[in-house]
Amino acid sequence: MHRRKFLEGLSAGALSTFSWSGLFSAPAFADIAKKKHKHCILLWLCGGPSQFETWDPKPGKSTGGPFRSIPTNIPGIHFSELMPRCASIADKLAVVRSMKTAQKEHTQAINLLQRGNKERPPFVRPTMGSALAEQLGQLGSRIPNFILLDPCPEGNEFKGFKAGNWAGWLGAEYSPVRVGGEFKIPDTDKLDSITDGDHEARAELRKFYSKKFENETKSSAASSYNATFERVRGLMSCADLFNLDRLPEEDRVRYGPGTFGQHALLARNLVEEGAPFVMVANGMPWDTHVFNHEIYQMVVPDLDNIIFQLVKDLEDRGLIDDTLVVAMGEFGRTPWINQARGRDHYPNAWSLAMAGSGIKGGAVVGATDELGVDVIDSPFDERNLFATIFSALGIDPHSEYNLPNFPTFHRVEEKIEPIKGVLL
Amino acid sequence: MKVELKKIREIKFPSHCLSLALDQDQTIYASCLEGGVFIVGENNKNPEKIINHDNFSSGVSLCGDNIISSDYDGIVKWSRLSNYKNIRQIKAHNFWSWQSAASPDNKKFGSVTGQYLVGGYKYEPAKEKEPSVRVYDTVSGEPIYSFEHTPPVQSIAFSNDSRYLAAGNLMGEVRVWDLTNGEMVSKWRTDNFTGWGIIKGHYYTGGIFSIEFSPDDSSIYIAGMGSTRDPAAGNGKQLWEKYSWRPQEGAPKLLSSALDSEIGQGLMEVIKFHPSKKFFLMAGRMFKGNWNTALFDANKGKILCSQDSGMRCSDAIFNKDGTRLYIAGGKSQSKKIKEGSGSWGRVLEYEVSISEES
Repeated sequence: MHRRKFLEGLSAGALSTFSWSGLFSAPAFADIAKKKHKHCILLWLCGGPSQFETWDPKPGKSTGGPFRSIPTNIPGIHFSELMPRCASIADKLAVVRSMKTAQKEHTQAINLLQRGNKERPPFVRPTMGSALAEQLGQLGSRIPNFILLDPCPEGNEFKGFKAGNWAGWLGAEYSPVRVGGEFKIPDTDKLDSITDGDHEARAELRKFYSKKFENETKSSAASSYNATFERVRGLMSCADLFNLDRLPEEDRVRYGPGTFGQHALLARNLVEEGAPFVMVANGMPWDTHVFNHEIYQMVVPDLDNIIFQLVKDLEDRGLIDDTLVVAMGEFGRTPWINQARGRDHYPNAWSLAMAGSGIKGGAVVGATDELGVDVIDSPFDERNLFATIFSALGIDPHSEYNLPNFPTFHRVEEKIEPIKGVLL
Repeated sequence: MKVELKKIREIKFPSHCLSLALDQDQTIYASCLEGGVFIVGENNKNPEKIINHDNFSSGVSLCGDNIISSDYDGIVKWSRLSNYKNIRQIKAHNFWSWQSAASPDNKKFGSVTGQYLVGGYKYEPAKEKEPSVRVYDTVSGEPIYSFEHTPPVQSIAFSNDSRYLAAGNLMGEVRVWDLTNGEMVSKWRTDNFTGWGIIKGHYYTGGIFSIEFSPDDSSIYIAGMGSTRDPAAGNGKQLWEKYSWRPQEGAPKLLSSALDSEIGQGLMEVIKFHPSKKFFLMAGRMFKGNWNTALFDANKGKILCSQDSGMRCSDAIFNKDGTRLYIAGGKSQSKKIKEGSGSWGRVLEYEVSISEES
């Protein structure tokens, strides 16, 4: 957490359960602190981005489409011509070209790539954001541990997912704080008629009685409510961090005027201020069943610029070694063009990219055949990916969740290995 | 009036056919996504490749002794009609030539371009980086005009007297220029042809995909897809609209449009008048409904006949006496693509029968 915000939070919460000395005398603090300065930004490319127009182009082939490939600054590695900026920083990115997963419908695939394991009802595995919030975050932090920046209230299948249970067995306190629309959190201003002292006193009184009720009734609803209330209290102290108007105009121009770029800039700012996990979503623009090339001429250059600016900024700010950036969707798109000149869902062979914390820049792992139909080298699935993400952030991917009265669950089951080729 | 279409030939091409031309011998010239321009003679079913393009070939026109073809590299090629030999090649645009056309007097050739790049919070298109419309002399290949528009500009048409040029874009904006002096003489925008996606992704799709002057040049017809909340589904109305455009008649005005009761959903990519001037064709893709190819009465705007061609239609042309209709398009690329793409491009030939109803 950013030191200034951390101290602001402590001073504002004089009556809270935290204390400076108590915090630092905690025996596990040293271990926790190692992870606490790690961050993750997930650029969630919902709908399923085409590997052909991004990381794994097949120019001149029947599946390649109209876009050419361009050389990157890694000899022999080419990206789509729609990604010149990423090509110029390929030595800072790691690309996996051999993702092979099993779900080809959005709802199931979003679940799979957000949770990292197959479903096992009735147990609900936490999403990547919730799992990392629990590991990287800090209870009582004024900045939410899991922030979802998402301006689009709709999103078909993603809309359904958003309404579901993100945190699973970790509980409501690890579900995301969702910010969208005009990038401002509504209803977080303290009324002028209430003094700071009154505000704190009322909060403590509310907390005392509600905790008592929660303990006496063992009510999970009350627990969730209390967690939510605490989060809103925290948000009141950092709501200005979500205000894009506070960011330098020059930065806003660099990230591009579209909502995805503006949200990515906000993510950078939030990470700089200490947020452990920020997910940037933007509806499902990558789901191009109609006019794949006509839409990708726009969305890919936008993504290209966003990744470039994000990596550059994190580097300039000394945050890149502690911040993992992941750009991925729930699957790729078909090699063949359908009648509507679109590409359909394709989990058999797709790509994603990562940069930053724990990641070996310039690594390009796995390969597909000349038409991009099948993975021909090093297939990886969602479990390999999640093991990689946990490992890159210093978290043991195979550790058990502490879940009394539950079956044994691990962060990644069956000791599936991370994608070692992309890890430092 | 009763009009009937009877399919008499189906010609398979290696890939989707984007554009068509036809000579007096009924030889078909088709530009395809892969490979370039192909020809097929009358009563033949085997296309022969005559002009190579390194990227998707988007346009083909016959101009006197030459074939002029364009592609997604922004390249325009002049080839001899007699031997298909390339005689000139110019780089017209830095992005795709979305569509191109030759003037009816064969003196001018126009091509439109423009990459859709993020220009605003809601993904409004950014301003053009190069002129979106270029006009060339068909004989010398010299540029005559460069016109500004908002990219991407997806459709182009010359007036029947070859004096005016009209071009329509993604955002439903039409601009018309007088080619005697290069002045823009008309400009209007309709929101009916563009969709902003609140459901899946907020960007714009659709736009005006085909534009055509009425036979007397007094009005302009535009075709595309009606507005939709989910542009990625391609489920807007199958739509055409007719506008007045001459400056002396005041501001451009919507005169008529496709009737809601007769249309389904899907992107319409071509609108073309029959030589009789009594009716016109609109064709494209069917998302929902029962037709993707229809002939409309030019006076009443009602459908005279319609059918599902079983493919996505991208261009169409009537022969000179109006007895034949040729529609270009394509099906899906084969899913067994490792065994080859299959021949997924199509040109369908129809016999057109017209009779006066009692």
